[in-house]
Amino acid sequence: MGSELRFDGKVVVITGAGAGLGRSHALFFGKRGAQVVVNDLGGSATGGGKSSAAADKVVEEIKAAGGKAVANYDSVEDGDKIVKTAIDSFGRLDVLINNAGILRDVSFQKMTKEDWDLIFRVHVNGAFRCSHAAWPIMREQGYGRIIFTTSAAGIYGNFGQANYSAAKLALVGLSNTLAVEGEKKNVLVNAIAPIAASRLTETVLPKDMLENLKPEYVTPLVAWLAHDSCKENGGLYEVGGGYFGKLRWERTEGKLFKLGREISPEAVRGAWDDVTNWKKATHPGNITESLSTVMSNLSTKSKGGNEFIDVDQALGYELPELESSYDERDLALYALGVGAGKTPGDVKDLHLVYERNGDGFYSLPTYGVVPALNAIFKMAAEGQTAPGLNYGLDRILHGEQYLEVMRPLPPKATLKHKARISEISDKGKHAVVVTHLDSYDAETGELLVKNDVSMVVKGAGGWGGERGAANEAPPAPERAPDAVITEKTSESQALLYRLSGDWNPLHVDPEFATMFGFEKPILHGLCTFGYAGRAVVTAFAKGDPRTFKSIKVRFADSVFPGETLKIEMWKETDLKILLRASVVERNKVVLSNGVVEFYPEIPKPRAKEAPKAAAAAAAPAGLTTSAAFEGIGAYVSAHPELTKEVGVVYQFKIKKPDSAWIVDLKAGVVKAGTVEKAECTLELSDSDWLDMVTGKADPMKLFQGGKLKISGNVMASQKLGFLKKIERPASSALSPTLSPAGERETVAISAAMTFEGIGAYVAKTPDLVKQVNMVYQFKLSSPDSAWVLDLKAGAVKAGTVEKADCTLALSNSDWLDMVSGKADPMKLFQGGKLKITGNVMASQKLDFLKKIDKSSMPTASASAAAAPAASASAPDSAEVIAPKVFKALQERLAKNPGLAKEVDAVIAFKVKDAGFEFTAELKGGSPSVKPGFDAKAGTRITLTDEALAALAKGESAQSLFQHGQLRVDGELAPAHRLGFLKQLV
Amino acid sequence: MGRKVNVLGVGMVKFQKPGASDGYEVMAKGAITDALKDAGIDFTKVEQAYAGYVFGDSTCGQRAVYSVGTTGIPVINVNNNCSTGSTALFLARQAIEGGLAECVLAVGFEQMQKGALASTWNDRTNPLDKHVDVMNAEQGVNQAPFAAQMFGGAAREYRWKYGTKKETFAKISEKARKHAAKNPFALFREVLSVEQIMASDEVFDPLTRFQCCPPTCGAAAAILCSDEFAKKHGLKPAVNIAGQVMTTDFASSFDGHSMTKMIGYDMAKSAADQLYEKTGTGPKDVQVVELHDCFTANELLTYEAIGLCPEGGAEKFIWDDDNTYGGKFVVNPSGGLLSKGHPLGATGLAQCTELVWHLRGTAGERQVPNAKVALQHNLGLGGACVMTMYKKN
Repeated sequence: MGSELRFDGKVVVITGAGAGLGRSHALFFGKRGAQVVVNDLGGSATGGGKSSAAADKVVEEIKAAGGKAVANYDSVEDGDKIVKTAIDSFGRLDVLINNAGILRDVSFQKMTKEDWDLIFRVHVNGAFRCSHAAWPIMREQGYGRIIFTTSAAGIYGNFGQANYSAAKLALVGLSNTLAVEGEKKNVLVNAIAPIAASRLTETVLPKDMLENLKPEYVTPLVAWLAHDSCKENGGLYEVGGGYFGKLRWERTEGKLFKLGREISPEAVRGAWDDVTNWKKATHPGNITESLSTVMSNLSTKSKGGNEFIDVDQALGYELPELESSYDERDLALYALGVGAGKTPGDVKDLHLVYERNGDGFYSLPTYGVVPALNAIFKMAAEGQTAPGLNYGLDRILHGEQYLEVMRPLPPKATLKHKARISEISDKGKHAVVVTHLDSYDAETGELLVKNDVSMVVKGAGGWGGERGAANEAPPAPERAPDAVITEKTSESQALLYRLSGDWNPLHVDPEFATMFGFEKPILHGLCTFGYAGRAVVTAFAKGDPRTFKSIKVRFADSVFPGETLKIEMWKETDLKILLRASVVERNKVVLSNGVVEFYPEIPKPRAKEAPKAAAAAAAPAGLTTSAAFEGIGAYVSAHPELTKEVGVVYQFKIKKPDSAWIVDLKAGVVKAGTVEKAECTLELSDSDWLDMVTGKADPMKLFQGGKLKISGNVMASQKLGFLKKIERPASSALSPTLSPAGERETVAISAAMTFEGIGAYVAKTPDLVKQVNMVYQFKLSSPDSAWVLDLKAGAVKAGTVEKADCTLALSNSDWLDMVSGKADPMKLFQGGKLKITGNVMASQKLDFLKKIDKSSMPTASASAAAAPAASASAPDSAEVIAPKVFKALQERLAKNPGLAKEVDAVIAFKVKDAGFEFTAELKGGSPSVKPGFDAKAGTRITLTDEALAALAKGESAQSLFQHGQLRVDGELAPAHRLGFLKQLV
Repeated sequence: MGRKVNVLGVGMVKFQKPGASDGYEVMAKGAITDALKDAGIDFTKVEQAYAGYVFGDSTCGQRAVYSVGTTGIPVINVNNNCSTGSTALFLARQAIEGGLAECVLAVGFEQMQKGALASTWNDRTNPLDKHVDVMNAEQGVNQAPFAAQMFGGAAREYRWKYGTKKETFAKISEKARKHAAKNPFALFREVLSVEQIMASDEVFDPLTRFQCCPPTCGAAAAILCSDEFAKKHGLKPAVNIAGQVMTTDFASSFDGHSMTKMIGYDMAKSAADQLYEKTGTGPKDVQVVELHDCFTANELLTYEAIGLCPEGGAEKFIWDDDNTYGGKFVVNPSGGLLSKGHPLGATGLAQCTELVWHLRGTAGERQVPNAKVALQHNLGLGGACVMTMYKKN
């Protein structure tokens, strides 16, 4: 499709155009109307000798075909002379094709200094000289195309071409930078790596291949890239034999070590798979994108770690959600496992082991640890553990356990468990890793149990990390305990307890136990934990576990099944019990620093909770971009030291809706608009900006995700950290408030923000001034303010001008409604609410206001982002009247069937903006008013809801018709008889 | 009143879209040269020139005329909005009728931009402010092109009064296209149906795009002379100007509370009445009419204003095909402003050219049979209305 690419009036210089590729290009450009400078030294392919014959011959060929050309015989090292020929002969230079080149192929070992230097002189220096001479000419005229001829040898490397490949890739570097430097002036630069038959490939490629690799297959790409309609810049292409392709750099996501800890070669080696993982790769296209990864890492420090624990990776890691269920059987089994029901005839424990117990069946609260831990065991068994935790079971000891129930556990439930690594502490020799679990009722979403499982990782400490909080749980008091319960565990206690879910062979297999350094299988620590919980409930809650709130213990030593547990308890307060458990036989403390807390009364089940997933803080309703910048402006004014600290002018370019803002931390000012010289320009979408400013999105992540573009002094963007310090602008502070009664409390600042928004739009739409070229004076009232929309100078400001082309006067609230799209300027005008004086026709040119996205303007009524719940309390100011009119008309007709004789017409009504249609068949023997638009009705009226309301009020249909608010198709006469709509509502 | 004025020669160039034409001076040269050839005289015989154009810097008229000859004659630049061409003709006729010259050139040209008419000078009172005020009061000011709002508003007024179907307006464009299909000088020669016209984009209800004339580039010229001049040079002009009247706005344009009056209905009616009285000839003696169909609405209203049909009778007139071949009149055989195009300065003189061809019998395929009396109506908001009657010598 499309027209031929021509170069009439363009001057094209091609170096090395005496043969091969250069000649092919020259002939082509000559055919397409260009004035061609055919440069060729006329030397050999290896750089010796010179002659004018080569260039002259090609010039003749071009002329013979009807084209224009001159010859130039200079070496490309005298590039200025070649460019001069172009200027002298044709007066201008538009396209430069750096094509000249020679070969000095030889293995690197045998390569001489001359082999190297000559190649560089011709390919690199030559292209430099030519391009350098052409550069000012192209920049001055605001137009230029430069093409460098590189080679696959340079891109990939080729045996025997060390000099050639180095030089050819040097040209790509030159091309890349010239593309950056030339972009603004429309001087576009690209590099091609051609494969074609020429003197340079004669000796390298087999003959039959050469036949099919015509230079003519390369020239089309050169012509396209050189054409003014092609906007490609900084590209690298491979071309030849029919193939055309583009290249770019690919880079793995690699491995990002947090800084602040030693990065050893071993760590690098260990991360090699990540470093070389091409499955996760990106394609940085410029230096900014390339640097972003590194720079984003600079500001975050490592939390430390070693070969066992990588705190950066593991801390905060959230394990995938798991589900599990339990029922009465599980509860009863658990109760038995922790020593309940020892004496079956004893009614004391019936409520724990008999699901049909008349007085009630209750779960032991400590059961709450079981499903949670089982979930973790399950995941570990499936290989799902937090990353960065590299130690085996042999290293870990259950150090502490904290459990909290929100209320008595139901007799059966399906639970959702959410686990995360909540703490990692360096205790010197050892490390402590705490996993926090929240268990929710899967159906209601109610949080039921919290667990903190604290594991000691032996010998894994010492990375100099945080020690973590000291243990808050107090040791047992000195005084005598207030209660002591002694219970003997059975020899098979572990066998029974493990049926609740902890299958660790350590507790059952004698051989396994000895492997782990125990003389025989030990009892589960959590079993002892369960015993302790039962004891406290028995001693202080009369055996009723339902007010139990929480328990925390440290596991001091192991218990063997069959040993006797002595549980000592101290009553701190009515609701807080300290405890210690020891094994009588060996007089060893097995549970220390124990604390149990109770609820003052039995907690009730909570009502259905909102899904936790929606916990993410939404941006404050109604926060607009302009309000955000206002907030920043206020902060900047209040912190003058920022200008010293930062001293940078930032340009923000917000998109969708578009706005531009200047955060000038030289002058200490924030305003809408653009500056000529911003040190650093940031571009991002409006929604990303709002997320960033409210803390929802991290700027670095936005940057890496390509959503935030930074140009200019990228490093300066680092200094924007102060933005985090600004208190999130509360929606109430800056947007107008809406009182529940629906009244609008407008503040002058809202009009200011709308004009700022308009000002921003005007600033970024320079064509507007050309199109409109008027000065508008806005006079707002209640509260009074005046604004000038100067579409001659292209500026918006507060105040008045002496000579406005057109003056518009309306109330502040009507203005805000108009600007937000709620009110139609025409209606305001007709209603006398908008007065226009001066050049009334000029007011027509204000329709560009409609193009400014309303969502960027604050509204006087309910804030733009108000949740439906909020707007439910604010009645919509315009209630649809059409259905009411319809109903009332039906009633009127029923009461007065003679209406049909008076009107004698079938009129279909389409109330477009209300989405309501009805047909009044007011004719004949059986008149009716029906819903729906009868397309066959003799008279078909289209009108707005407001027009219908006006008619119902008794306003003239003629006036509405003249104003275009009531349209009539078909028979018009019945429209004169719409009086039947009067006083209907 | 004064001496008889003959139309000695006429000429026009093919009308073009904005951006597609030669410069105004080239077009004007073309039209003047054709008119001179048609007249059988060379430029040295021309004693005065009235050059009509609306858009351009001062003295475009001279530049246009100089491309034909620099004889030092008086050249007067004329503008009267859309009635510029006829105003140039009016001045040329006056000069001869009043005995002040024997042979005078009236040329009209326009090199227009794309898009609807808009004001150029924003630092001074807009000459149509009073008209806009009327529109403001009657129907408000909209974002549509203002001319379309004005004439469309008049259409609404008329529709409300008489219940005219929207198709009736569209039918006028259908006729215009049919006529233009036979006019090699016209811009839009593709035949369109009423449905197609109704289906085009709405510009201002009830006017759709094909019911609005386009911005156009073009030029046309007429050479007028006295009987004495013709005799002296052995020339036999076939056509004379039987009468010509110009009116401007009456008070009713602004205090009539009517869109129809604001757009010049009373100007046209008064000019027509005066013309018929002056010439003693009424519409029933006219066969061919070129009137100002800038919008279909204006053609419809003009039928009644200048008496081609009774008031309120336009719809019947149109559906009875009394405005085209086989009916009572052929209105706008050239295709009118709607289809031939409307280069503001040239239109009045292009209408003259067309009508002269019909009276001479040289209108080719478009020839209105037995054309003896031709009527011209050219209207410009601001305003002015020029009506001219031509008869065979």
